Amino acid sequence: MREMIKMVVVLTILSCFSGGLLAYIHSGTKERIENQVLEFVKGPAIRMIFEGATNDPIVDRFQIKDGDIERTFFVGVFDGEPRGIAFETSGKGYGGDVGLMVGIDVKENKLLGVGVTTHAETPGMGAKAQTDPNFAAQFRDISLEDPINVNQDGGNINAISGATITSRAVCAATNEANDIYKEFKDQLDDQLKSFKK
Amino acid sequence: MVEQKKLIVSHAPFWHSGSRVTERNYHTIFAALPAVLLGFYYYGMPAVGVLCLSVATAILWELIINLVSRRPITIGDGNAALIGLLFGMLLPATMPWWAVITGTFIAIVIGKQIFGGIGSNAFNPVALAVAIMMVSWKDLFDFDSMLLNYDLEFATVYPIAAAKYFGAQGVISFNLWDLFMGRQIGGIGTTFGLGLFVGGVYLILRGFIRWEISLSFLAGVYITAFIFHLFDPIRFISPAYHLLTGYTIIGAFFLATEDSSSPVNVIPMLIYGAAGGIMTVLIRNTGAYVDGVILAILVINLIHPLLDKIRPKALGKVV
Amino acid sequence: MAKPLAQEFFKGLWDEVPPFRLVLGLCPVLAVTKSVENGIGMGIATTFVLVCSNVLVSLLRKAIPSKVRIACFIVIIATFVTVVELVMQAFAYPLFLKLGIFIPLIVVNCIVLGRSEAFASRNGVFRSFLDGLGIGIGFTLSLAVLAAVRELFGTGALTFWEKPIPIFGPSFQPFSFMIEAPGAFVCLGLLLCIMNLVGKK
Repeated sequence: MREMIKMVVVLTILSCFSGGLLAYIHSGTKERIENQVLEFVKGPAIRMIFEGATNDPIVDRFQIKDGDIERTFFVGVFDGEPRGIAFETSGKGYGGDVGLMVGIDVKENKLLGVGVTTHAETPGMGAKAQTDPNFAAQFRDISLEDPINVNQDGGNINAISGATITSRAVCAATNEANDIYKEFKDQLDDQLKSFKK
Repeated sequence: MVEQKKLIVSHAPFWHSGSRVTERNYHTIFAALPAVLLGFYYYGMPAVGVLCLSVATAILWELIINLVSRRPITIGDGNAALIGLLFGMLLPATMPWWAVITGTFIAIVIGKQIFGGIGSNAFNPVALAVAIMMVSWKDLFDFDSMLLNYDLEFATVYPIAAAKYFGAQGVISFNLWDLFMGRQIGGIGTTFGLGLFVGGVYLILRGFIRWEISLSFLAGVYITAFIFHLFDPIRFISPAYHLLTGYTIIGAFFLATEDSSSPVNVIPMLIYGAAGGIMTVLIRNTGAYVDGVILAILVINLIHPLLDKIRPKALGKVV
Repeated sequence: MAKPLAQEFFKGLWDEVPPFRLVLGLCPVLAVTKSVENGIGMGIATTFVLVCSNVLVSLLRKAIPSKVRIACFIVIIATFVTVVELVMQAFAYPLFLKLGIFIPLIVVNCIVLGRSEAFASRNGVFRSFLDGLGIGIGFTLSLAVLAAVRELFGTGALTFWEKPIPIFGPSFQPFSFMIEAPGAFVCLGLLLCIMNLVGKK
């Protein structure tokens, strides 16, 4: 009986100690980990979109509730004016969802650029959407008035050869971003004012 | 009473039939010579160089591993030389020297000696080496580009690759008899169908390899290719081309029949060979690789221990 | 236990070097040795867990009832592994991305549990510390050696902090078999063979 009690006591104390230590370290590293995830998963795409921005867009971010999901918006400051926002949407690709970071110029209502963040496309074919700068460059400085399409569908984006589905996914994600942008435009403008320096 | 055959063990003295491992290896080398000589004739000195380097380094690796592991020196039994020769035969004549040396290292050290030397290897050492090299250096086994600079009296197009990329259209210019007589590009010793065939028949007649494996391998290739051809004659070439191109014939007679990695009873041998033939055509017609013989042989090497479980009932054993 | 203290440390470097002599903990050895950087990162993570869990187990060896000792060890080891995981995520995220699932899998690494069970639960704190450190460093070095061989032949260069240092020059054609999974087995086997040959003399 005494042994039983000892076992229970020892295990309980050990577990408490372990739980406490982990909770302490978790709370200590939580913020850093979040930043690191953003930096290494979404960072490259954001930095490409906000080329020439004077702030660190990964630090300057805010969240807006869209129904059940919380969307994170990154802010790009150009010439002292916070006029760029970037956020992530997704489109149905060949090998699953293609995550896309879309940058929008709030002042002139045009695209700043797009960058693929996460994908499971075929290497050498669809994966080029992430690595081929020529493809992403087509999304720079397009007006948001018209829907964006690949030229097979009557648009003026040249699809990556052999990866029309992926290219369509990128276009669909961009259009979705456009919808979200229009829906939240007022809130975004309010938020952006607070980043003015 | 019906007369029954029984196993009778007589008293000494015994008489040795003269069949030894060494003899077997040298006869196999001899049987492979016609194909090799035609390769020399077409590809000239580079082919001689590749083959000599291959045989020499194979023997050297065997010697080194014998010395390092302090075991009896076995280079005299000719097995290392045979492995080197067969390995060299599968290569294009312009193979760079370092690739040949790496290949023989894989064949002798990893393919054979690590398992305990002759008779213990689970896989055919030659097939293993070629497979590993095909995975690593795909370009070196692209016969079209490797043999680009040769000016031969026939088309320098690797027929099996042409069939892979252009379907039946790709092989329309090839004449079956030309293919059989070795008028096609390929490995140094793999193109001369007649020579390999004669060598194989010689080995079968002398009892060094079993006809069951070779025949069922070729039959497997033919029948599977025939079925494919029946369904889509434009995409899949006719079975005769499958038999005469790539590594099919050398695979059937020299690689699949390797002693320690092939089964011993008749039914397993038939299944073993047929499975190899079927796999070959499947890889060629639907897989990613141009030629499936090497990988098919590794696969059947894997199933050989299972096949060996199919055996006749032991005498007097009650179930 | 009259062994000199130094020996507890140095045995981990040669006589009982984990993957090659004890042949333990082979899962990470095979999986993460695609590059030297990964190998050393994994080795350091394992060393940290080994040292910490060894010290703690040794401290508590009198208090832990023998019937639940394995459960106690696992709790201790899992705690430190999670610590390593969080710290690595916070400070070396790219390395964490490359090592992935193999960091949490240190929990089930035979070496860690093996040292707790076989050594730390029977020896003093300082000895256990030295033992953990020695075995850990031995493990790190073996991973580094195996990874160096594989990376060198598989890519022709050694990469540190995303800067490839070419060793064999531009004409070298990578032997990509070596960085594939079967290459890991073959390479480990050959290194084991060399270790045994050298050890016999």
